Formats: sequence, structure tokens, C-alpha cells
Amino acid sequence: MSPERKVVVKKLAYRVNDELADKIREVMKSKNKLFFNMMGSIGAGKTLILEQLAAKLSSKYRVFVINGDVATTIDADRIAKQGATTVQINTGGGCHLSAKLIQNELDKINIDDYDIFIAENVGNLICPAAWDIGAQLNITVVSITEGEYVVKKHPIIFKNSEIAIINKCDLDGLGFNSDVLAEDAAKIKSGMKVILTSAKTGQGIDELITTLGIEL
Amino acid sequence: MHEYSVASAIVDQVKAIVEEHKATQVKKIIVSASPYDVIIPELLIEAYGIITDDLDKFKGSTLEMQNSKAEITCLECDYKGEPAEEGDPEFAYNFICPKCESRDTHINMKNLTIETVDLVIPDN
Ligand SMILES: Nc1nc2c(ncn2[C@@H]2O[C@H](COP(=O)(O)OP(=O)(O)O)[C@@H](O)[C@H]2O)c(=O)[nH]1
Ligand SMILES: [Mg+2]
Ligand SMILES: [Zn+2]
Repeated sequence: MSPERKVVVKKLAYRVNDELADKIREVMKSKNKLFFNMMGSIGAGKTLILEQLAAKLSSKYRVFVINGDVATTIDADRIAKQGATTVQINTGGGCHLSAKLIQNELDKINIDDYDIFIAENVGNLICPAAWDIGAQLNITVVSITEGEYVVKKHPIIFKNSEIAIINKCDLDGLGFNSDVLAEDAAKIKSGMKVILTSAKTGQGIDELITTLGIEL
Repeated sequence: MHEYSVASAIVDQVKAIVEEHKATQVKKIIVSASPYDVIIPELLIEAYGIITDDLDKFKGSTLEMQNSKAEITCLECDYKGEPAEEGDPEFAYNFICPKCESRDTHINMKNLTIETVDLVIPDN
């Protein structure tokens, strides 16, 4: 009989992901690239916001968008029409992107061929908050049609974000209300940048671009 | 529902430990998680079973979960430790700092730790 031994490990389960995320952040920084992580619920308007961003940025910047979705390439195709290079990651059943999934895509391209990288995370207000993908800024999008209490119910993802986007503000006053969401997002984390947008009309998109530190 | 990815992350790290110790078999893995780690133990254990099903060195091994304490960091006063019991009356999953009563705290939800691994290591 071979002996059994207890090995004391004491290592964080997320360690490998987080180390890779740090590495991605370092590489992006050293190459002067911007990398944003856009999170939010299903249907909040992440893709439509990215279409607006791509339309405004593509004439000046080379934009690379990584779309995380459980299946299909619908979102990546929509954004590609606005002039960005896009790639779709199908996570299968996975409810979040990870540093490894991002690195796999970066390995297939030359980072120097692009200026701005944006990941559209899988629609979900819970799991993506726990998985660092190496972005410099984390953005969470909610829309006013999700109800007034969506920030109150999911504060963790906002705590893990620097920017909160309250989208679909074209519907403000039409049975929906942006006030409570904007107030809650500002209250839940000091220094939070709250931006009211309508990805339909383009409201707030320029403010978002400025907040991301991009010159138009 | 990210237990599958979490279980994979655990198995990947344990595989490296098995290599390092030239072990022939994994018997038991003990992991600890805090109450706010958004991990459902039953699902994690189920995912572990699925992932290790075709891994010879993990045959018959078990994954055990232990509880660790919740930990917040206060962004106002730098307090690090257990949150005040009542939580934040306004926000779900948010906590008030027991030292300065600020709501500007961060709950660490990534405490999940591989504590120990029981291995069979042949002598020689
Ligand atoms: N009225 C309105 N509809 C929007 C807005 N943004 C997105 N939508 C619509 O909401 C639906 C979901 O948007 P999509 O961008 O696919 O959401 P995602 O799941 O977060 O990527 C689509 O039908 C969009 O046309 C907005 O600002 N106002
Ligand atoms: Mg989308
Ligand atoms: Zn404090």
C-alpha cells in the first residue's frame, strides 16, 4: 500500500484566472491599448450600445469586439456591420467570460492591429462579476424596462464596475423611470460614473465615449 | 450557475499538485467558501463529479466543502474583516462597515480556497 498524504494547498480557486487577467491588463497597458468589459442583463442593450460605439469610433480607431454568448453569432454580426472587427465566443452553457476565453481570442490576432478592445460579456448580473477578464474598466448596463429595483437586487456587479449605464432612456416617463436606478447606482459605490443612455436614439453615447477616456 | 467553471479551475490546480508530488491518486479535496461566494455546494460537487469522471487519478475521489467567514473591505476606513450582521437595509448583498458604518464596502466573493488535497504518493 502506497502511503496517503495530506497536502496543504491554501490557494484561491480563482487564482489561475486572476493571474491571467492581470497579465492581459499588463500587456494591454504596455501596448497602450484600451480594454473594456461590458456586462449586464440579457436584453439590456449591450449589443446596441456597442453598435453605436463602433459606428462612432471606427473611422478613427481600430475596434475589436469580443462577443460572449451562449450560442449564435447574431451580436457579433450586428456590431461588425458598424465597422468593428468582431469575434463571437460561444460559451456553450457558460454564463460568463473568463480570462482564458479572452486570451484564446487574443492569441489568434495581432494586438497591435487594434486600438480599442471591448468584450460583451454573457447576459447575466451575477457570475461575470466573479470572473476578471483583464479589462481596465468594467461597465454594467441595465435598462429602465428591467424595473426600478434591478440595481438594489444586484449590487455586487455594480460594486465591481466603474461605470453604470442606465439604458433605454428614450422610454423614460413612458411607464418607466430612470431616477431610482441612477440614484441607486451612484449610491452603491463611491466614484461610480452613471451614464443615462438610449442606444436607440444615441443619447449619452458621446458621454460614454468621453468617460471611457476616448477622444473623438 | 458558474459552478462548472469553478470546479474546472479547482481540478486544473489539483492536477498540477498531483504532478508536483508525483502522486498516483487523489483521494479527497477540501475547499472552503464564504457565505457570499455565490457557489452552490451541491452543484459544485456535481460538476466536480462530471469533470473528474474520466480522469484516472481522480477515480473515487471526493470534494468536500467547508465554510469560511465572510469578509468585507471598507473603502472608507480600510476595515477588513467580518461585516456587521444586519447587512445594508437598502441593498441586497451589501454590508455596512462595523467600524465606521459606511455602506461603501466591498464584499469579497472570491474566497473559494483549495485548502488541502489528500494524495496517494508511492514511496521511493
Ligand atoms: N427603446 C429602446 N430599445 C433598446 C435600447 N437599447 C436596446 N434596445 C432594444 O432592446 C433589445 C435588446 O437589445 P440588445 O442590444 O440585443 O441587448 P443585449 O442582450 O444586452 O445585447 C433589442 O430589441 C434592442 O433594439 C434603447 O436604448 N431603447
Ligand atoms: Mg447582446
Ligand atoms: Zn469603514
